[in-house]
Amino acid sequence: MSILEQRVVTIVAEQLRVPSDKVTAESHLLDDLNADSLDVVDLTIALEEEFSSAEQAIEISEEAAAEMRTVQDLITFLEEHGAA
Amino acid sequence: MITGIGPVTPIGIGVDAFWENLCAGRSGVRPITAFDASEMKVQIAADVPDFEPERFMDAKSARRMARFAQMAVAAAQLARADAGLDLATVDLERVASVVNTGGGGVTTIAEETRALARRGAGRVGALFVPMMAANMASCQVSMELGLQGPAITGTAACASSIYSFIEAKQIIQYGEADLAFVGGTESNISELGIAGLANMHALSRRNDDPEGASRPFDGERDGFVFGEGAIVCVVESLDAARARGARIYAEVLGGGRTADAHHLTAPRPDGSGAARALRGALHDGGLAPEDVDYICAHGTGTPLNDAAETRAIHAAFGAHAGRLAVSSTKSMTGHLMGSAGALSVAAAALAIHRGLVPPTINLQTPDPECDLDYVPNESRAMPVRAALVNGFGFGGQNGVVALGRVDS
Repeated sequence: MSILEQRVVTIVAEQLRVPSDKVTAESHLLDDLNADSLDVVDLTIALEEEFSSAEQAIEISEEAAAEMRTVQDLITFLEEHGAA
Repeated sequence: MITGIGPVTPIGIGVDAFWENLCAGRSGVRPITAFDASEMKVQIAADVPDFEPERFMDAKSARRMARFAQMAVAAAQLARADAGLDLATVDLERVASVVNTGGGGVTTIAEETRALARRGAGRVGALFVPMMAANMASCQVSMELGLQGPAITGTAACASSIYSFIEAKQIIQYGEADLAFVGGTESNISELGIAGLANMHALSRRNDDPEGASRPFDGERDGFVFGEGAIVCVVESLDAARARGARIYAEVLGGGRTADAHHLTAPRPDGSGAARALRGALHDGGLAPEDVDYICAHGTGTPLNDAAETRAIHAAFGAHAGRLAVSSTKSMTGHLMGSAGALSVAAAALAIHRGLVPPTINLQTPDPECDLDYVPNESRAMPVRAALVNGFGFGGQNGVVALGRVDS
């Protein structure tokens, strides 16, 4: 698992209050991790907070947030938008 | 009928710890640890350091609640257990949740305002609104316990949870519910909460003597101590209580509510607004002044309140005032604002049930303006036939609940 993946897993576990060993890239946010739409929006805000830096702001739009189904979707989005 | 009591307080969680410490005269006032208070004018408060929300709800639910709502849920679960109430055996559509609060989620508002100012609108949490909204006091209790009758959160500052019991009695009498979870919650020991109250000169500044800071009716009193916590009681009709063989602590006989129409924060100096609420509670409860043995006072420890409250008791009780036991639980618990009334109702119900009246601690220097029997420093074993419970709020909202003993 990459460092980015590990950081995402840690935040997902913390935000959704699930044990981190239950969170994998394949985990479905709603079905596997018992999140609802409010949790997903709150999670994307926490990820923006974690991955934004002075050099680069990470923005996950509401439209993008609505498309997030799995932990992998979050990881892919962050990788494609240059999060480090 | 009050058949269950759930206290989450600075002097103990659960009836046994709360009552033991209350009658032993133990203070719950401590140096503030919730934030760095070293630069504040007031550095003491009555918090609940051993509160663990996950003992009372799952971690996911806890994360989606502000602390005031977590405490309300914990208090409701404790009350349910204390009442020996199996919710699977009752019609949940006939169960109300009436949990009032003073400030609701003020601390959450402060945190999210900081996020907005520092990091922009996009960083305000998606859970901000449903966490800070005051109505979550009753709604989270409703959701966690599955209660589907009326869910109500009102606010009347420091009289808030006196009003809860009057509201709940009316709901049950009106026939809207058979049983209710009733009380109050408050948890705003934050920089904003302490700074606001300190700057209005409401709080004691005895930072070097936390346990001696809350001194209601004492000549050296200099303000109240801000507290946090929640107290929820199970209240049900006599028929419902008898049908399930419930232990009854006390009966809610009636209540009185009035407004001072006077000042933002100060009570009417002659206590006349409070006196009308006391008379209203006597009348509504079918009591003569001589029927009352105990008053669980509002007794905040501010110079103005305690003198005005004393005058109000004289005005409402005449010659019987001198024969009343009057004590302030706030001398030990601090002032829980929106949950203060419910804490006092719980204390008075236990006093009636157990024949023991909790003391007013830190009462050492007489004040000629405070000349009643405040049960100084030691609890007192005495029969209590009926008790009144006072709560007076900023804005001049006065509330008094009358409780009576139920002989089995």
